[in-house]
Amino acid sequence: MTEAYQTREDAAAALAEAGIRASQVRQADTQLRWMLLVLLAAYLGVALLMSLSPHSGSTFAAVGIIAMLVAAVAFAVVVGVRIRAYSRAAIRLYFGTIIAFNLWNALVTSLSTGTRFWAQGQPSYHFGISEAVGVIPLVIGVWLLSRRRD
Amino acid sequence: MLAAAEQAEFGFVRDNVEVTDSMLSKQMSALEQAGYVKVKKGFVGKRPRTWLSLTKEGRHRFARHMNALREIAS
Repeated sequence: MTEAYQTREDAAAALAEAGIRASQVRQADTQLRWMLLVLLAAYLGVALLMSLSPHSGSTFAAVGIIAMLVAAVAFAVVVGVRIRAYSRAAIRLYFGTIIAFNLWNALVTSLSTGTRFWAQGQPSYHFGISEAVGVIPLVIGVWLLSRRRD
Repeated sequence: MLAAAEQAEFGFVRDNVEVTDSMLSKQMSALEQAGYVKVKKGFVGKRPRTWLSLTKEGRHRFARHMNALREIAS
């Protein structure tokens, strides 16, 4: 295969071509960030609704949360079907972000209940604050996947 | 392109490399027979999808090829 490249210029051109193809895959990698953004948006949306709702809950919040989750799942499926290529680094980053998000979120939830930041009598917006902290790994994951375009 | 990707869809490779379906299919069949490429066929809904990826041997050979090119170019 390599024998086809007789000159330095041919070899340099082939290397440049390989670089272009690799960058096309890196650009495709950025599609994965939309999956994380959907999760981020749904999570923050639910947090906002819960923050604005009274402790006893409301029909508006319940319907809003269900609608948001259904829309998020539908959007994630559409984005997932449209993904046509991804690199090993991007898929590791994607699943790494999901795992980090779950672990971090579990820690934030435990601390919020353990310190009675979430408790009867506390303002509803405490829930929103905890959730905003809980999504930090998702924000970092989205940022790292976006950088793969460079 | 497949060296950079964990998996790439047939249409993605075709569109970016700018070759016809038949030409890419022929190349992939040859590389699959040589053990360098893995071809996985499936469906998304009713649409057929073909995913391409390099085998371990394919990645190894490609890395060797790139090293050789770097030596020539340097």
